[in-house]
Amino acid sequence: MPQIITEENLRKLVDLLVKEKKLVVGPKKSGSMVLYEPLGTGSELNLDTLPRRSSKELYFPVCEEILRFRKEGGVVQVDDVDRSRFPETVLIGAPPCDAASPSILDAVFSWDYHDEFYLERRKKGTIIGIACTKCDDACFCSAVGLAPDAQQGSDLFLTPLKGGGFSCSAVTEKGEKLVAAHAPLFSEAASAEPVEFPAQGMEKLDLVMIKQWLSGHFEDPLWESISDICIGCGACAFICPACHCFDINDEGSPDNGVRRKHWDACGFSKFTNHASGHNPRDVQNKRYRNRIMHKFKYYDDKFGKTLCTGCGRCVRACPVGIDIAEILNTINGK
Amino acid sequence: MCQPNKNIYLPNLATIEAIVDETPDVRTLRLVFQDEAVRDSFSFRAGQFAEYSAFGSGESTFCIASPPTRKGYIECCFRGVGRVTEALRGLEVGDTVGVRGPYGNSFPIEEFFGKSLVFIAGGIALPPLRTVIWNCLDLRDKFKDITIVYGARSESDLVYKRELAEWAERDDVRLVKCVDPGGAGPDFDGKVGFVPTVLEEAAPSAENTIALVCGPPIMIKFTLPVLERLGFGDDSIYTTLENRMKCGVGKCGRCNVGNVYVCKDGPVFTAREVKAMSQEF
Repeated sequence: MPQIITEENLRKLVDLLVKEKKLVVGPKKSGSMVLYEPLGTGSELNLDTLPRRSSKELYFPVCEEILRFRKEGGVVQVDDVDRSRFPETVLIGAPPCDAASPSILDAVFSWDYHDEFYLERRKKGTIIGIACTKCDDACFCSAVGLAPDAQQGSDLFLTPLKGGGFSCSAVTEKGEKLVAAHAPLFSEAASAEPVEFPAQGMEKLDLVMIKQWLSGHFEDPLWESISDICIGCGACAFICPACHCFDINDEGSPDNGVRRKHWDACGFSKFTNHASGHNPRDVQNKRYRNRIMHKFKYYDDKFGKTLCTGCGRCVRACPVGIDIAEILNTINGK
Repeated sequence: MCQPNKNIYLPNLATIEAIVDETPDVRTLRLVFQDEAVRDSFSFRAGQFAEYSAFGSGESTFCIASPPTRKGYIECCFRGVGRVTEALRGLEVGDTVGVRGPYGNSFPIEEFFGKSLVFIAGGIALPPLRTVIWNCLDLRDKFKDITIVYGARSESDLVYKRELAEWAERDDVRLVKCVDPGGAGPDFDGKVGFVPTVLEEAAPSAENTIALVCGPPIMIKFTLPVLERLGFGDDSIYTTLENRMKCGVGKCGRCNVGNVYVCKDGPVFTAREVKAMSQEF
């Protein structure tokens, strides 16, 4: 029999997790926006709106300290960050396009050298994903291999039911443990009929075909035609659940300071600028080409995954109206 | 390669043991690791690079310019052009820098045993080959002829002048030194001309020979056809790419040429590999 949880009990679950000193993060009204933010109580959980930014920053913060340095008596000391202090987290209410993001990013942060900042946060994180009923014109998760009810990346997955409440499936051991530890909040139902998911406007893309085309068209008139209007603002990268490029910089003085890694974007003009002034990606369409290539070819070449969850945020945010889904459709039709 | 729970961004500390001004704006730092265990265990291969930090300013990527055959220290060589390199230039003997590495692949020197070598470098790109040159000179009897073609914009832009003099005097090295037209002083004892032209005139034999090329993109572009005319095959030509990097370990997503990550798949590539890449240099 399917296991279900009422909406009231889901909010109680948040309260309990907060009491257990876990950092519970979920969609929350913040000014005029809904953002993923720490929840103080279950009543703050907002399941009606896709948050403006993705949830990836729970594991890969916009900006994070990676070490500190100080000079005492002429001697330089470097102090590591105590990662054991990273809190246990529960991400709750993430739709598939956000819940799936870590399952894609794990590859780059754990191949060969391990980025323990990301991995420690992942180890201590549980994801409660929720099937999505909020699809709008910009959404295209189904086109890139996900779906409004895709469980990829979730530890526990909730599906809204017609009569209210959610059916729950424990996808991983973490999810099972979470349910077992809060068993009184869950119950069994004779039947659980999920709500109907709105169909997305876009057909499923043939990602293999798209990659094949990209492999043979590094040089193509398409790049100029689609991306010369790009102003390189980086908004697409900063709200993307899958973009992972970062910079490393020092702040402070040689005597006392901190080194941080922070998000960067391949759309920025100085991203690849050499010290000599030479820039391999000297015009914006080359930078935009890299964005598409990285997401739909290079990342797949390296890790066998597509670096896009079809959340549509970049489509909604682009100030000049570049629509990545439309570009993929164009390539798909070639 | 990676210890569990280790912070991969944490540098080792090294003391500046010596400073050499190669040109008015290019400087060599000789660095000695402060931790004795690191000093003993640090090993690298010619061609690998590191991330060097000036604390308070950040990190910069340079090759390890000293040869792995010289133990106990490493050297880096850089031009002061940005925030980090200017800060590194501001440091003095006895000061501390951070070093992360070694990273990347290396020149397969053992595969060159029994062959002749031609080194071709331009300007500030001699350091990445200098590590190989000394590595090979320290194992001199493993190689046949060694030719070095090195040029810079002007006489004062030539780096490692002491070593150029040393190589010029050795009878087991052929050094062809040159500067661009207009760059020679009255006493300049080398050739005047661009590196590709001077290389063509020097005409080293391609037979059983490996060519190692490093220089600005424009030099590489005009040197490869010359090497081809001299009879070098694409598998006998090696180069090292110098893309902008941050993490050095395949995470930060900036050094890629097409789907090739220079920090992980390189920085050393054969001409065949370079030609197969997306042309985005």
